[in-house]
Amino acid sequence: MSEQLHDLEMRAVYARTLIELANENPNIICMEADLSKASGTNPAFLTAHPDRFINAGVAEADMICIAGGMAVEGKIPFCASFTPFATRRVYDQVTISVAYANTNVKIVGTAPGITAGPNGGTHMCFQDMAIMRAMPNMIVLSPCDTYELRECIKWMAAHEGPVYVQLSRMKQPAVFDESYRFNPDKAVKVREGKDVTLVTTGYMTQFAVKAANELAAEGITVDLLHYPSVKPFDTATLIESAKKTGKVVTVENQSIIGGLGGAVCETLSENHPTPVKRLGIPDKFGEVATEDYLFGKHGFGVEHIKKACR
Amino acid sequence: MKDSFDKVEFDRLAGEFRFVITDMICRAGSGHLGGALSLVEVMISLYWRVMNLDPNNPKWDDRDRLVLSKGHAGPVNYVSLAYRGYFPKTMLKTLNENGTYLPSHMDRLRTPGVDMTAGSLGQGLSAACGMALAAKLDGKKHKVFCIIGDGESNEGQIWEAAMFGGHKKLDNLIAICDYNKLQIDGFTNDVLTLEPLADKWRAFNWEVMEMDGHDWDNIYETLNRAKAVTGKPVMILAHTIKSKGHCVTENRPESHNIKVDDQAAWDRNMQALDQKDYVLPY
Repeated sequence: MSEQLHDLEMRAVYARTLIELANENPNIICMEADLSKASGTNPAFLTAHPDRFINAGVAEADMICIAGGMAVEGKIPFCASFTPFATRRVYDQVTISVAYANTNVKIVGTAPGITAGPNGGTHMCFQDMAIMRAMPNMIVLSPCDTYELRECIKWMAAHEGPVYVQLSRMKQPAVFDESYRFNPDKAVKVREGKDVTLVTTGYMTQFAVKAANELAAEGITVDLLHYPSVKPFDTATLIESAKKTGKVVTVENQSIIGGLGGAVCETLSENHPTPVKRLGIPDKFGEVATEDYLFGKHGFGVEHIKKACR
Repeated sequence: MKDSFDKVEFDRLAGEFRFVITDMICRAGSGHLGGALSLVEVMISLYWRVMNLDPNNPKWDDRDRLVLSKGHAGPVNYVSLAYRGYFPKTMLKTLNENGTYLPSHMDRLRTPGVDMTAGSLGQGLSAACGMALAAKLDGKKHKVFCIIGDGESNEGQIWEAAMFGGHKKLDNLIAICDYNKLQIDGFTNDVLTLEPLADKWRAFNWEVMEMDGHDWDNIYETLNRAKAVTGKPVMILAHTIKSKGHCVTENRPESHNIKVDDQAAWDRNMQALDQKDYVLPY
């Protein structure tokens, strides 16, 4: 049986897609700040296009502004680093040399949230979605599986302007398949239900699907909305679903302040006030720990999602 | 104009620049006077004698690029652009007005002829590295000029870019440090000393040159020598005087940003100029 895309690590699909894009477009540039093996671009992209693989060294601020300069000259740089270093460490550089200058730079935040696991509190960034979402001109994406990731990366290359994407690096179970097509303006309705609206993005979508399936066995049907794009944010689908169910739960691999849950509450409070329960990290820092431990400590694993939906 | 240098004519142009810059800032009510006046001769030399440009085609692919990383010196760049014909001189009086094309700090999306946005210090040299690297990838022959401040050189990112430029041997990149020895809070040697500055850049694998940033011949000769360097980027330490030609603020920390609250202050600032027999072009 031939290899399927979801058999690959997410970072391998990132690198493979970037190579395919670079094969067709001489302006595609792969930028790294000494984490190229972690991002999956080394050796894959480095071998395929050594002249367009730019390593800035452990100098993320420099990387972002070099990318801004290259973009002004028509290049399309994809800059990857761990999420804390791709966002909060370089917040001013991204704000001025990318978003304010409106340069065609793509930023890839790897190992988002609790997937930073053994690297612990210093590397567990729970705010990248919130801070990037608050930045004018910036688009914020968080694909959930390899099929969606591939489509997002292709869309980013074609889109003229700044984009941030979260990239969980390891293998992820397939939520979608080869037929998937990305639309930044539309949420994806993964399950249709009438009892509760469950809103999710990125890494957490696989757990939301599991929770929805188990709730169905209990006779609770979930309207499951997956948001590959948190900005732009598809308000219409959310409002329509909230009107139907009257109850909303959000779950994200981020702080509950300012990210997906924030976007949901902002939308509903202005358009259709609805009770919302936000699951994620409740304004706490990360720590070296297993996923199960962190799900349990902060209350956003499958069992917690199910409880919130009941 | 490149081959026909007339010192009297250029001295007069520099005097007129200082007159117009001071008036623009007074008109706006405040602004970064000192760091604009220190760059007048360097900027005129770049725009009239050194850079390959086409004011009728600001996006000309083969033009030389300029990143004014010390973006607060915007007014001296705007006067250069207007006098070279990128936009009408009458626009100069709109500095910092609501909806202006001429904001205090450089904005590539607003001002014709501005290659890169700058104002948050430390970022422009990295961007210039990116522009130079892109040119190399595309086999282009133009140069990328970048002007940084001495105070700006306190930023760690300047030294990240220094490492990168040296490592990539960006010999199409010519940086100029406006070394007027002053920053907002005082003399650079008192706030955070940069010395030995030339040695620092040499240690980062840059070709280092020094020049008197107010001497036409010295500037021209140095910039041409810089253009001929191969195998490494060039850093030119331009020894300048902050707020040069403005006797009230010259070589004083207060020159960094002046406040002009009323007509009397406006008049005082205009009277402080060495040369004051000019007519405003707007």
